[in-house]
Amino acid sequence: MPRIHYLVITALLLHTGLAQADIAMVTNADNGIDQLSQSDALNIFMGRYRKLPNGALALPIDLVPLKARFYHALVNKDLAEINSYWARLVFSGQGSPPQQADSAAEVINLVVHNPSALSYVDAARVTPEMRVVLVLHE
Amino acid sequence: MSNSAWVVGARAMISLRYLMICLLALLPASAWAQTWLDSDRLTFSGFGTLGVVHNNSDEADFVSDLGQPKGAGEGWSARVDTLLGAQARLKLNEQFDIMAQGISRYHYTGNFRPELSWAFVRYIPAPDWQLRAGRLGLDSYLLSDSRHVGYAYPWLRPPVDHFGILQLDYIEGVDATYRRPLGDGLAWAKLFVGRSKSHVVLTDDLSAEIDIDHVYGGHLNYATGSWQFRVSYTKSDSETNFSGDYTGGVDNVYALLTYQLIKQAFVYRSMQLYSLGMIYEPGAWQLQAMRNQSETDENGIIDSGFASAGYRVGPTTPYVMFSRVWTSFPGIPAGQSFEQQTWSLGLRYDVASNLALKTQVDRVHVHKPGLLWRDTGADWDSGGGHVTLVSFGLDFVF
Repeated sequence: MPRIHYLVITALLLHTGLAQADIAMVTNADNGIDQLSQSDALNIFMGRYRKLPNGALALPIDLVPLKARFYHALVNKDLAEINSYWARLVFSGQGSPPQQADSAAEVINLVVHNPSALSYVDAARVTPEMRVVLVLHE
Repeated sequence: MSNSAWVVGARAMISLRYLMICLLALLPASAWAQTWLDSDRLTFSGFGTLGVVHNNSDEADFVSDLGQPKGAGEGWSARVDTLLGAQARLKLNEQFDIMAQGISRYHYTGNFRPELSWAFVRYIPAPDWQLRAGRLGLDSYLLSDSRHVGYAYPWLRPPVDHFGILQLDYIEGVDATYRRPLGDGLAWAKLFVGRSKSHVVLTDDLSAEIDIDHVYGGHLNYATGSWQFRVSYTKSDSETNFSGDYTGGVDNVYALLTYQLIKQAFVYRSMQLYSLGMIYEPGAWQLQAMRNQSETDENGIIDSGFASAGYRVGPTTPYVMFSRVWTSFPGIPAGQSFEQQTWSLGLRYDVASNLALKTQVDRVHVHKPGLLWRDTGADWDSGGGHVTLVSFGLDFVF
């Protein structure tokens, strides 16, 4: 079965004409969330409103090697600007930035074990354990 | 900057004992993202600014806010902008966390004595709600609770005409924030209530300790796309205790008059602050504008506002800003009350993702002197004038 899932997802990705460079936002496959809007993703990753469509508190996770590309695609900002933004929020006690994962394997592990986790991987590296809820085009 | 300027700046730094000791301790620290982003329950982080300012006037010393008893006189000074902050945060579970934050900066005590600026417990019962109790930064207008975090904004310092007259750093109390999506954007509302104490320097000879029995207020925000808007209201009930006697000499009639009138102006029992703020950041542009009005129960009014525009090109963000403050107090003849405006031109250069270099030139036109200047000369007291400030700063987070 997982093999079939994988094939279906790959077929879907190819069908929608995804370039290799696209970024797929992924969640746990069992949390009942089918898709996410870009403004939902922005609110969650920028710490404005961390509520998933199923009502749960979202756990956003940054994939460090992909982070610069992700924030360019999401909010058109450099990492220095993102850090500057978080400096304001962190040092006025308004919350903390997403958890940091160093590898796609770590992201997969977190997403598989946490129904509220929301992260991103290169669209070419999506695996069957994850559900793609939004694709960001670069 | 010339070599001699660096020498003067460096000499001034020596007096900043607390800062240097702490900075040395930080040298081996890794990139801040790794320090404060790790998933451990306990995280440490911090921010700071090393700043030097050159003042071209021998008539008036520049301060960056009302709490600073001495300013930056003619030549170079590292006193007014340099600071260091540190934070510890303990996450108990998904719903509760505890945060404490201290800051060392030149303030009312006349030195860099560190102060506990935040210490609170936060409770998040649901994604829409946040409750905090303890010592909280005063959030009475946009950026007011993060104005010391230089790395967070493009300017070398927040516009003094607007932020320098803010009399409160923090409250002891509670706040509640509620968020919900509205239309294409996100709306949120915050209410706060507490008590506080504030120390301000009104003239070289006159300081005031303001005991604030009650302070309460709130704000409504709306963010959509690249826009963010805020409208805020704060009310405080207070009692002012003055200290200091006039020592300026009876021949300086303007200084004597200012002393008496300012003292009179700050005898009030309550103050209300209204504020509007706006941020627009589409791509490379960074635009901000704010407008405040404070009114005391004795009909004293302080107006201020600023507008700023920056444009990011790679690591470089040049910006221009205009700010203004004007006051009116019953008892002070019309046109004689403190008023000034500033044009600022500057550049932020992001050296690394936790380090920014900045430079800024300010041209301050003081129409009527007062409040934000120290050690003023008799000529200046009668009519004010122009001051040019040239500043260099290094902002970092870790």
